[in-house]
Amino acid sequence: MTENSSVTRFTGAARYVLDPELADIVNISMALEMPLLLKGEPGTGKTMLAHAIAESLQMPLIVLNVKSSMKLVETLYQYDTLTRLNDSRFGDSKRDVSNIEEYIRMGKIGQAFTADQRTVLLIDEIDKADTDFQDDMLDVLDQMAFDIIEIDKTIRARHRPVFIITSNAKKDLSDPFLGRCNFHHIAFPDPKMMRKIVNVHFPQIDRQLAENTIAAFYRLRELEAVEKRPATRELLNWIRALNADPDFRPKDLAKGDVPYLGVLFKKSQDYQIAANAVRRRRLF
Amino acid sequence: MFIDFFYKLKDVGIPVKPTAFLTLHRALEMGLVQSLGEFYTASRSILVKSERYFDLFDQVFAHHFEGAEMPDGEAFELDEMAKVMLEALLQDPKTLAEAMGIDENKLRRMSPEELIDYFKERLKEQTGRHDGGGRWIGTGGTSPVGHSGYHPGGMRVGGVSRNRSALKVAMDRRYRDYALSGPLRQSMMGEALKRLRHLVPSGPRDQVNIDETLYQTMKNGGEIEIVFERSLKDRLNVILAIDNGGWSMEPYIPVVQTLFNHARSQFKVLETYFFHNTIYDYLWGDAARYKKPKRIDELAAADPETRLILVGDASMAPYELMATDGSIHIEERSGQPSIERLKFLARTFRHAVWLNPVPQHMWGYTRTIAAIAQIFAMFELSIDGLEKAIAHLMAR
Repeated sequence: MTENSSVTRFTGAARYVLDPELADIVNISMALEMPLLLKGEPGTGKTMLAHAIAESLQMPLIVLNVKSSMKLVETLYQYDTLTRLNDSRFGDSKRDVSNIEEYIRMGKIGQAFTADQRTVLLIDEIDKADTDFQDDMLDVLDQMAFDIIEIDKTIRARHRPVFIITSNAKKDLSDPFLGRCNFHHIAFPDPKMMRKIVNVHFPQIDRQLAENTIAAFYRLRELEAVEKRPATRELLNWIRALNADPDFRPKDLAKGDVPYLGVLFKKSQDYQIAANAVRRRRLF
Repeated sequence: MFIDFFYKLKDVGIPVKPTAFLTLHRALEMGLVQSLGEFYTASRSILVKSERYFDLFDQVFAHHFEGAEMPDGEAFELDEMAKVMLEALLQDPKTLAEAMGIDENKLRRMSPEELIDYFKERLKEQTGRHDGGGRWIGTGGTSPVGHSGYHPGGMRVGGVSRNRSALKVAMDRRYRDYALSGPLRQSMMGEALKRLRHLVPSGPRDQVNIDETLYQTMKNGGEIEIVFERSLKDRLNVILAIDNGGWSMEPYIPVVQTLFNHARSQFKVLETYFFHNTIYDYLWGDAARYKKPKRIDELAAADPETRLILVGDASMAPYELMATDGSIHIEERSGQPSIERLKFLARTFRHAVWLNPVPQHMWGYTRTIAAIAQIFAMFELSIDGLEKAIAHLMAR
């Protein structure tokens, strides 16, 4: 795998501004065949990173969105009893009812293991599930294999997927889990970095508009007592909204008019706070 | 290789694991690390598993590889203490000058930098930590400067207003896991809300889960096995009673209120009441405890399945709890000691908890906390404590 990884080095993607430090970490994790755990404020591009890796290495991306009620086995495979019952009653399919294997459907992790080529497997927001889920997943990560009990068969990973795991939680994951991952915390981009990100998404953007929106955005982020601070995603949507408005002039922002606050602040209390601050011109 | 570095990280308190260290060597062997910069990113992402330690890691790294000064724990403490003293000085120069036994005017002439240095010198005169001693800065002692002390003209340096139970100063904080065991703060709201989500309804198991029934029936070889689950309609009544008297509770009231208001949609009814220190005949619907009284006896008619959550530091003079007519408010004369009232509530609501912002290891020092903890299950007002409290409330 060493030779392989030196060839397939991750260097960034078209719509993703890559921090060189993060690129190193991704490459090391891939070479060491260890999952990479990413933490950081929502909107710092944790999920986007997996998309970017898949795009630049031309591997298929498999996304596992973790839900709070999820059990590990669902992510591995599902035994479709309903279809089997239907087939056994009506027998109008080509499947062989006595062969249970035909009714096993692979879950996201199972798909990544059985894929014909190496894949990027994004396990998104693992903190949503309970700790049992995380601990059970350890075994699978360690063995790179799992059993299908219904047919007593072991599925081994044909190509070891590139695991990207994201977590929003302030709480740390369990120690054994952390021990098997590499860790990186993505800090919120500084204005300079943000400028690059905006440019990647809006190559045609007016220079004044970009500067004014970014400046206003960072001032709005500093408002106190806001529960959910606007993140990169909100900024990009905001710029999109401003661009679409024919009446909007970038100069207005500097004067203290901040239209479309609702794009940035999505909780009614936060919106109130921001609207009040803007009205009182405290920001500018 | 780099064994010194590894142990230095361990010494400053970063939880580094030997297996991770071996992984780092694997990375080195594979030739993945070509420069010091790459070594930095590689070692950090492999060895350090939480952003809380990133800063510390940076300092150790700089020390080990670039000869920068080691982060000095003691210096940090002194800085913190000196900073607090400076703040105290700005607020009330006279008291501080008197407490330190120097001329106020002399202090005034110093620049802030000089002041900090001067404070540090004075602080260095004592070595190590003194709690409860007679030396002149520490905590819980009898000296004039420090906090939680008993010196009549004394003043507090450092620590949060938490009355007699506060022992937390800069010195304690290095190894504390703030994220989970520290008191609840606004920034932890999201995390705390997740814990509240476990306050799930639990009605009778009277709905058929079709998917599960089919699955189990198939597993049974066609023998029908019907799986029931709980209906989701039955939601909880919650009564939240907050101690909002006294400054010791001040920082926690808004946090607790917002927390439960955010979770409101999960409850059928959420009633919030207030009290001061402990409960006598009335709870109050308004924060001023004046306009909307609610007789405790009326609560006897409430649904006994209601979850009662009391929030308070449970710290008061013992007579307030034990004596008949113990209330510090003259108009509250009930004829029954408060402790009987609390027992009445505990009897009425079998699912009740007391959340206490005072750190758990301090509970033993206050008699009334111990007394109340015998009546109600008491938990720390922290993320961990909240989680345990919810588990207790939901127990059958």
